[in-house]
Amino acid sequence: MSQLTLRPAEAGDGGPQARRPGPRPGRLRRSLTPYLYLLPTVLLLVALMVLPIVMVVGYSVMDNVITTRSSESVGLDNYVEVVTDPVFHTAIRNTLYFTVVSVLAHLVLGLAFALLLNSAFVGRWAKAIFRAIYVLPWLFTIAVVAVLWRLLLNPNGVVNYLLDVTGFIDGNVEWLADPDTALHAVTFINIWCGYPFFMISLLAGLQGIPKDLYEAARVDGASAFRQFWHVTIPQLKPIIISMALLDFIWTTQQFALIWMTTGGGPINVTEMLSTFTYKLAFSKYEFSMASTSAVIILALSMVLAFFYVRHQKVRD
Amino acid sequence: MDLPNVRRRGLKRTGVYAGLTLGAMFAGLPVLWMALSSFKSNSEIFEYPPRIITDNFSFDAYTTILTDPAKLRFFLNSYVIGLSVVALTLVVAIFAAYAFSRYDFPLKRVLNVVVISVQAVPPITLLIPYFGLMVTLGLYNTYPGLILTYLVFTLPYAIIMMTGYFNTLPKELDEAVKVDGAGPLTALWRILVPISVPGLVSVGLYTFMIAWNEFLFALTLTRTEDMRTVPIGIQLLMGQHSYEWNEMMAMSVLGCVPILVLFLFFQRFFIGGMSAGAVKI
Amino acid sequence: MSNGALTRRRIFAVLGASALALTAACGGGDSGDDSAGGEVTLEFSQWWEPELPDGSLRALMDRFEEENPGIRVELLSGPYASTKEQVVAGAAAGTMSDVVGLDGAWVSDFVDQGSIASLTGLMDDAGYDDSALASQVQLEGETYMIPVVNFVYPLFTNDDLLAQAGITAPPTNRTEFEAAATALSGLGENVSGWALPLSLETPNGVQNDVMSWVWASGGSMLADGQPDVTNDEVRSAVEYVKALWDDGAIAPGSFTMKEQDKVEEFTNGRVGMVISSLAHVNTIREANPDLNFSISAIPAEDSYSGERGIPYASWGIGVAENSEHKEEAWKLIDFLLSEDVNAELSTLANAFPGNTASVPDFVEGDELFGAAFEIYQSGYPANEFTGLPVAEELMRMFSEELQRALDGEQSVDDALETAQDRWLEEF
Repeated sequence: MSQLTLRPAEAGDGGPQARRPGPRPGRLRRSLTPYLYLLPTVLLLVALMVLPIVMVVGYSVMDNVITTRSSESVGLDNYVEVVTDPVFHTAIRNTLYFTVVSVLAHLVLGLAFALLLNSAFVGRWAKAIFRAIYVLPWLFTIAVVAVLWRLLLNPNGVVNYLLDVTGFIDGNVEWLADPDTALHAVTFINIWCGYPFFMISLLAGLQGIPKDLYEAARVDGASAFRQFWHVTIPQLKPIIISMALLDFIWTTQQFALIWMTTGGGPINVTEMLSTFTYKLAFSKYEFSMASTSAVIILALSMVLAFFYVRHQKVRD
Repeated sequence: MDLPNVRRRGLKRTGVYAGLTLGAMFAGLPVLWMALSSFKSNSEIFEYPPRIITDNFSFDAYTTILTDPAKLRFFLNSYVIGLSVVALTLVVAIFAAYAFSRYDFPLKRVLNVVVISVQAVPPITLLIPYFGLMVTLGLYNTYPGLILTYLVFTLPYAIIMMTGYFNTLPKELDEAVKVDGAGPLTALWRILVPISVPGLVSVGLYTFMIAWNEFLFALTLTRTEDMRTVPIGIQLLMGQHSYEWNEMMAMSVLGCVPILVLFLFFQRFFIGGMSAGAVKI
Repeated sequence: MSNGALTRRRIFAVLGASALALTAACGGGDSGDDSAGGEVTLEFSQWWEPELPDGSLRALMDRFEEENPGIRVELLSGPYASTKEQVVAGAAAGTMSDVVGLDGAWVSDFVDQGSIASLTGLMDDAGYDDSALASQVQLEGETYMIPVVNFVYPLFTNDDLLAQAGITAPPTNRTEFEAAATALSGLGENVSGWALPLSLETPNGVQNDVMSWVWASGGSMLADGQPDVTNDEVRSAVEYVKALWDDGAIAPGSFTMKEQDKVEEFTNGRVGMVISSLAHVNTIREANPDLNFSISAIPAEDSYSGERGIPYASWGIGVAENSEHKEEAWKLIDFLLSEDVNAELSTLANAFPGNTASVPDFVEGDELFGAAFEIYQSGYPANEFTGLPVAEELMRMFSEELQRALDGEQSVDDALETAQDRWLEEF
């Protein structure tokens, strides 16, 4: 971990050398250089991401596309229709619950496991083994995660069996099929398969915190909790914010897991923006509406990304 | 060290191990159940009360998969695509991250927002326009088609992480090389990249996992069986009328073993790299 | 950085390997549908191949190629659950296969999209006599899909469980069925009378397990091709289902249960009666050879004595509008529907033939299939969702409203009225 103890660059936006006045002829070249480095990225993203996104934005103002032979522009009618659809509101509510709880739980679990794995009481080999076990949920394609948990949470599945035998529940609990528990159940599954991302990053972050900060705190007589709260957390804050942003965006996109466990049901208690959009596209064949919904999601995420980038700027 | 202190240490130690064991059960038991299910017959998987080892315990599911050339081909395809995506993503992301980390330029913030938010469009809505594009480019049902697809999926994440990683490295490092008259490229490849190996490994492994596990685009952008990847192979076992549960489980276990081995092999770097990448974006 | 050099070497090894892989990829990627030596290559995309015994569909294609020199068939197989997306995307991008496997629920939407061609003209051009076809899916007088084989959905009963509950024969009407289902659920030990899969991911339970009660009593959910789910027949069937639910006779997990789960529950003896596809007979036998079960017609209303509709699902076939080889495509369809081939395919799939003259082998050799064939012939195949617009979404809407009713959020009447309104919007 030697690189982590190196002093970080001032950098981010505009390091010193970027601003240092160079010889005149080099100036234009210098100001073009970063674009040159970004050229492959920009070409790829524009051709393969931005172009399709622009097409989707185009679809979103048509009456319908792809499944019809001719289409015409309807302006913003689709937006009005999607935004006023009560199911869309349900989807937003559920997505928010699902995403916020998932991200928070990923963070808490990731941090807890990272702290445990970082503990001085655990030997090297034990650490390696536990790390490998903890990372397991991350290694499976989402279809398999869905199928596995359907199996485990089946009314006659092994989870109910264990809870029944140990006396926690009586009879069959329909975890995924009961409108009262389904949303919590899918959120739980998403927590299970997503926390390792946080855990690994935070584990690394913990190893990067200089030991002398803790020493100083101990000299001041700070309790373990105060050390955690006043040293660990502030040191990890940048990681936490970056991870949380990425995880937030990814979790709002979670489709396969929900679709393959509950299909958005029972009734519509697990209806998310992703399932709502999917059904518009491939069940109702209203690709324009689906595109509209996608553009709204994109716009919301861009607001988030904008604040994030601004926040970074301020911090630097 | 006085006695109460020793006892307290012992208590803490027990606490830590108890916590670790609980966590390991949470993480590992579902996977263990999956592995056990792969040795059962289809109806035994649904037995109640469930049993850990059943009468028909067998390796049949594994034999079936490992002796079926079509299924082995799925694994080969997934490896070829995964490794190519990792290599390309790293190269492209290194250049982009270098620009974001070491230069200041007018469009920087705009490009940053774009890089972050292109991940936010539901892939399902991109599917059809994207598919049309691939067909037009003649990349339908080819490895390059899928490789390019995953390349653009993984690039934003890789760039964000690599930029953060480069930001943790002192500028003096590249300055020193430039004083010797070398250009920025030399500084990047001779100094920054070699130091960043842990970061590269972590981003690389994550990229590999995304490419390995993706389903929807892999299915749509390929046509023939010899181009299909492992996730499609798994879903082919989910039939119209019934699932081949044990083979699905076996194929998942087989699929995760190489990734786990890679993780164990690289874990020292992996764990070093991720944090640094996240420190500053 | 003690081992930096070593690490560097490892990384470059990885990079090198991938570069090699990439090169190999670019060389090997382009497998083709070019017609070598004036041959026509037909692409046939379907989900059937993985469902059939290994290599059996390919063997049929080989026979077709032998009989039709100059035509090659390339089989493209995908997972059933994603077939629909693939067809939609393929049609939009102009890469749709010449011949496609279809489900009746998709036809109307594909016709709207203009992705599948009318078969009527192709049949005329080929001078085809369609009198032997069991059914054709038509929209506005033109045929778009022909069912190649049909899977009927009779009632499966676990005879041992019924005997334990003191019942000697499979129920024939609703009263008997309710009595049997309640008695089975009373056996305790996680046993339920009936399974009702209402998953919203694949909502075909509405077709097979709910509307089947309507059709079995000669009812209909349509009037003049328009939704009519508030009629007495549908209401009585849904109220009946609700009564079974309130009796506690339905297996837990209904709201996310899929067809595949229902079968696993039946196979493991936890559900005494299910309405299920004939295709499951062999699945159940293989998974649990000791299970003693029989097949009978879906119970009708007590007073009903007419012909019973029996739900079915088809492996249908159609031709892509953008196909350049429609004539050859028709030859393949003709081949699959010819008497012998259709009988053979039916035997392989455990389904009933789309050609009325074909007799699959299993009908004579197997008691259960024989019984099913009798039920099939004494009733009529009923699946009113076939050919409806956004048929799958209709089932999903109905399932949602039914779930609300079963959950006690609304009355059966309200559920049917809401479903009716939501359906009308889609027509």
